[in-house]
Amino acid sequence: MDGLPPVSPAPGDPGARLAALQAELESVRRREAEFRAKMVHEFLDRGERNTYVHVLHEERAALVKRQQESFADLEDLTRKIEAESARVAALEAELAEIRGSWLWRVSAPVRAAARALGRGAPAPAAGRAGVEGGVFAYYLHTSPFRIYRDDRFTLRGWAWPQDGRAVTAVRVSLDGRVFEGRHGLEEPEVIARYGPQAANPKPGFEITFETPPGRHSLSLEAQIDGAAWRRIMATTIWCEPRSR
Amino acid sequence: MSDEAKARWQAAAASLGERSAYKKVWDLQAGDPDLASLSVAGHTDEATLELTGRGFIDTLRSTVGVDRDDVVLEIGCGIARVGRPLSLECLHWFGADISGVMLGHAAARLRDRPNTTLVELATVGLQEFPRDAFDLAYCTIVFMHLFEWDRYRYVEEVFRVLRPGGRCYFDNFSLDSEHGWNVFMDGARYPLERRPAHLSMSSSREELGTYLGRAGFADVRVHDLPNELIAATGRKPD
Repeated sequence: MDGLPPVSPAPGDPGARLAALQAELESVRRREAEFRAKMVHEFLDRGERNTYVHVLHEERAALVKRQQESFADLEDLTRKIEAESARVAALEAELAEIRGSWLWRVSAPVRAAARALGRGAPAPAAGRAGVEGGVFAYYLHTSPFRIYRDDRFTLRGWAWPQDGRAVTAVRVSLDGRVFEGRHGLEEPEVIARYGPQAANPKPGFEITFETPPGRHSLSLEAQIDGAAWRRIMATTIWCEPRSR
Repeated sequence: MSDEAKARWQAAAASLGERSAYKKVWDLQAGDPDLASLSVAGHTDEATLELTGRGFIDTLRSTVGVDRDDVVLEIGCGIARVGRPLSLECLHWFGADISGVMLGHAAARLRDRPNTTLVELATVGLQEFPRDAFDLAYCTIVFMHLFEWDRYRYVEEVFRVLRPGGRCYFDNFSLDSEHGWNVFMDGARYPLERRPAHLSMSSSREELGTYLGRAGFADVRVHDLPNELIAATGRKPD
């Protein structure tokens, strides 16, 4: 015990000194127990934080991956548009050359007669002519503007006609091939933001459609009040399976 | 216990095949405070809960002791039947349970107990806790709902989380008591396909003593308790 500070007021009194030592020992024991309780709490907190941080890391990694895929898709699309533009320019040059030719000028009366007889009229643009366009408020959770890599895709979103009528069915038309979807799905955040929609209290929908390789016309359509179909939006899509 | 509560208890039972899915089974058994209380204590009134909780603290005192400075861990604390009164007699009480729903009820009963902490266990074991942390760890009225391997898993884990010199207590009902035999025969009467997952299963003195000895505990003793339970106690060597 040499060198320790005195813990009792009377070094000559063994009883008092013992009691003081006992009190000091109790105090140390309590502090040690408090330290252990604190250690358990810190261990529990760290476990919770680690779990949460892990989830955030996972989510971030998934988002970065998706962003990279999106950038790559957009680049691909840009290249396609460039290629199409070059092809259009070449065709336009060829057409101008044909129109400037002697034979084209000579045959002009024949073409005029054919048009008058109803032949040779231009074909309607694929996909967009079938259904009349409507005016909708809508949002697509799964963007259709992408390169389609898998053999099917599910379009999820919500929509209602601006005139307040009810959507009674939804579908995707892909080059005229119809894929029916599910509608009437809950979208509580949309209702909270835009207010209740009397005719469309559950404006969510999802439609799964096949995406065979190639270029297609996609038309997202809704049936209104159980009668006519109206186009919500349309776009050209490119489906290219990943090369193995 | 009302007939309505009994009926809901029966309806909340999972099948025996799901006995290992402890989280699911006990979340189901803890649907509301009354159901939870009924599932873990067999009654629903607060006065009886308090009384039986205090009775168990007396058992702890007489077998392993309870100290004002103890940092205590209860495994399978349920609605904190024991934790609520025990928190008045120790430094800090930690209650662990595999059922988060059950812990929700416990939290409501411990609002005025700042020296208590509830921890939801992810699975069988105490991986949420550090080693050498507790003075006393106990597990009461829980082993009857566990398979034997899982009972031993908790004994091993208690050895890890106790500080050197720390004490442990585990109990179960014994087959060779009147009560134990009645529980056994009640279970035997269930049609095979309708045996519930929470069906109580007994322990023997040898079983409990073996677990503690194999896990490394010293001073292992098996106690015959007045309420026809048996309990094994031990001390983690210094």
